[in-house]
Amino acid sequence: MSLRSRIAVFMMCAFICTGFLPMETALGNAQWTLDEPDNITSLSVSEDGSRIAVGSYGAKAYSFTAEGQLQFALEAGNVVTGVAMLSDGSLLAASDDRHLYKADEQGRLQWDLNVKRQVKGVSASHDGSVAAYIVQGSTNVAFIDAETGETIRETDIGIAPKRIRVAPSGSFTAAGATDQYVYLIDADGGIVRKMGVTGTVEAVAAAEDGSVAVGTSKNEVVLFDADGREAGSYPVKDAVTDVDVSGDGSYVAVSDYLGGIYVFAREGKLLWTTEVDGAGRAVAFNKDATALYAGTGSGTLHAYDVSEAIASAESGAVVRTVAWTIAAALALALLILGLLWMKRRRKLGVLRDVWRAKYIYLALLPTFALVFVFLYYPASSGLFHSLYDWNPGGRTTFVGLANFERMLSDPYVTKGIGNLGLLIVTGLAKTLIPPLIVAELIYHLRSKKTQYWYRTAFVASMVIPAVAGLLIWQNLYDPNVGLFNKLLAFAGLPGHAWLGDPDTALWAIIFIGFPFIGILQLLVFYSGLLAIPDELIESARIDGAGLWRIIRSIHLPLLAGQFKLLIILSLIGIIQDFGGILIVTGGGPMDSTYVPALQMYYAATIFNDLGYASALGVAMFLIILIITVINMKFLKTTHD
Amino acid sequence: MQTVPVTKPAAPARKKRSSVRVVPQAIINIVLTLLVFLTLVPIFFMVFSSLKSNAQILGNFWSMPSPPQWGNYGEAFGAIWRYMVNTVLYAVAGSGLVCALSAVSGYVFAKKVFPGKETLFMMMLAMMMIPGVLTLIPSYVLYNGLGLTNTPWVIIIAHAAGGQIFGTFLCRSFMAGVPTELFEAARIDGASELTIFARIVVPLSIPILATLFIMQSVGIYNDYIWPLLTIRDSDLQVIGVGLTVFENQFGIKNLGVQFAAYGLSSIPLILIFAFGMKYYIQGMTQGALKM
Repeated sequence: MSLRSRIAVFMMCAFICTGFLPMETALGNAQWTLDEPDNITSLSVSEDGSRIAVGSYGAKAYSFTAEGQLQFALEAGNVVTGVAMLSDGSLLAASDDRHLYKADEQGRLQWDLNVKRQVKGVSASHDGSVAAYIVQGSTNVAFIDAETGETIRETDIGIAPKRIRVAPSGSFTAAGATDQYVYLIDADGGIVRKMGVTGTVEAVAAAEDGSVAVGTSKNEVVLFDADGREAGSYPVKDAVTDVDVSGDGSYVAVSDYLGGIYVFAREGKLLWTTEVDGAGRAVAFNKDATALYAGTGSGTLHAYDVSEAIASAESGAVVRTVAWTIAAALALALLILGLLWMKRRRKLGVLRDVWRAKYIYLALLPTFALVFVFLYYPASSGLFHSLYDWNPGGRTTFVGLANFERMLSDPYVTKGIGNLGLLIVTGLAKTLIPPLIVAELIYHLRSKKTQYWYRTAFVASMVIPAVAGLLIWQNLYDPNVGLFNKLLAFAGLPGHAWLGDPDTALWAIIFIGFPFIGILQLLVFYSGLLAIPDELIESARIDGAGLWRIIRSIHLPLLAGQFKLLIILSLIGIIQDFGGILIVTGGGPMDSTYVPALQMYYAATIFNDLGYASALGVAMFLIILIITVINMKFLKTTHD
Repeated sequence: MQTVPVTKPAAPARKKRSSVRVVPQAIINIVLTLLVFLTLVPIFFMVFSSLKSNAQILGNFWSMPSPPQWGNYGEAFGAIWRYMVNTVLYAVAGSGLVCALSAVSGYVFAKKVFPGKETLFMMMLAMMMIPGVLTLIPSYVLYNGLGLTNTPWVIIIAHAAGGQIFGTFLCRSFMAGVPTELFEAARIDGASELTIFARIVVPLSIPILATLFIMQSVGIYNDYIWPLLTIRDSDLQVIGVGLTVFENQFGIKNLGVQFAAYGLSSIPLILIFAFGMKYYIQGMTQGALKM
């Protein structure tokens, strides 16, 4: 038993020793609103970052200073679909009123081009040397002279473009088309390549080197590098509404319909994220990607200082190296101190033994590398981050016990605990009673061959993959073509949507696997019965004991060890298991089949709330630990 | 560590015991047959329905599949073969790694003396007490950070790292039963450590390694949550997730094809159990009882 307590000490030491480097960044931010609460359709930031152009659904193109002061507003006849702010402060605006406008830095109209079709977007390089627009119902990308509005050339991409963006210097133009492809056009108007994505193209952005970021309806942004290869993909929570990429292609900003605003590093790391009220509509970086502007569906413009997040990505590696160096130095110092101490105590012989066993350590190295990196690290990371609002790669803030407090008020968790209670009670009954009965029956068979055949027949049920078994059971419950309702109909009884009714769903899940002859349990009980010495039974029989008396007074007490083992194993298993529920009902209907482990999975996968998910994992771990400790301390059997 | 005796009684004892049994054999046989039938109902139902078309299932639920729709199996194979091949490859790679790592560390922990042996072994044992719920999400974040998600490695490494704990444990207790004199004799004859490992340890460990390989393979083949969490690309996906995705692939569910897919997905497990049932049962009972 002392072995287990020593294990506990080891675990604690291991958790404490594992190093963590939480990253916390405080970000300044400002916001201002348009004169009317309108959808923002587009944003553009001037090269020096002093001016921001905003296009609105309310047919206006605004020019703001970086501080949020309105410079001028240009009125169009319909929705402004695109804006481009040039370095001289002049503004290009495209509108559904079939016009393309150019206003100078004072807001005076320079020219007004009637293109006779709804203009779907405009974009220009900072200096205005390359300016492109696209119109409804045309397969052309038109390049114009920003000074005069005259068309210089047109590039036919063969399909209607829906989004257009010119790289800051004009080296490349990216056009997202309705055919799920993005076309890259060089400075001379030639098509360099096309790049396909899954889902429809919702937004594009181009960097100087020809890198292209593409936002899709599949809640994803894909970054293609200068050679057209996929350099990274960044998942977001909802359909992408806009993307921007920093001039060098190192950072990608994204907005989505749920109001999420994100900044990703090129290699895919989420550097920073926030949420705005309502849908995020447009995002734009300033030139060096230190500031990020985001426009919302309610006409609010947010300005975020993301320089720290970006800087932390760059310096993160440095900080980490420094921290590791310090840690290594400390470890070395401790080692030397330890050696000195050992020398004083004349215990250096150990070192000789260590050196002699060097090949043994080498042989164990792969094993322990895996153990530490892939088992100890995640376990301690889970314990640690349960106290944090955890955004890997992004802002991770200490929240104390808030995650645990939240658990108590999370209706899905409280409901889940109730469900889990029922699952545990029924699960223990299922685990212990039917296998024990079958084990007794097989044990009492006279022919050894028949015994073998029955055992094999029960084990045969394992050839169905677990998932397939669950799916078959799901089908058995089907209200229309399920076996159960067909049987009921056969008997003249009305059918029932077993999994669709909140009152029966959990019981339907409990019933899965009927008649519950668990193979492991059966084999454990059976070998337990075989191990009972025959003399015991023989003498009991001589004393006149009947079958029931033998089972009650000899079999059951001697199977205590097996009972204990199976109870512990199934408790641990039931608390953790949510795969079956995830497949069969997904927790529904409503919250009727939730369990805490399922809520943990959803917290991590759907809500991206990793800190909360870790806290749920830690809570379940603690409960399992308590069960194990109780098992060790209080349920001692004669075998211990 | 608690131990529960699992030794089977010697043959003569069995004969004697049978004389004291009073339960009518016919009743036992009837009850057991009924239970076997009930246990296997889903399998029978699967085979039965896999040979029917939608019209046959909806129109005449109870009738025999006539004509049997053998084409369902062809269609199902086309839809899931990729998942099956992937999973089998992951299972072989993952289980092979587990066996290699466990054989080495099991031997070392059983037969070698070196400073820190107890500590290191304890560190491995401690991991057996960490439940999967604690590590699931942090592991996902870790693998994601390492860029391993959506690659075969995320499955293989995860199973290798987790499986070798149990494997080392199994191999260690197996090796402990091998007389040390055997290795001493080889050493005196001038065999190097590598030779001893390759010529003595590995051949001796074949039964336990077979058990381990089969246990791990079945485990990987039945895995669902981890690949669901970490694999996005359907070309890399495993059968467990593939079967659930497959269900949603058709606008109208083709039930017969679906059941045929479940049946086909059982083939690797049928093969494993046909050849290695004994090892699997051994591993299962030993693993449970030695904890």
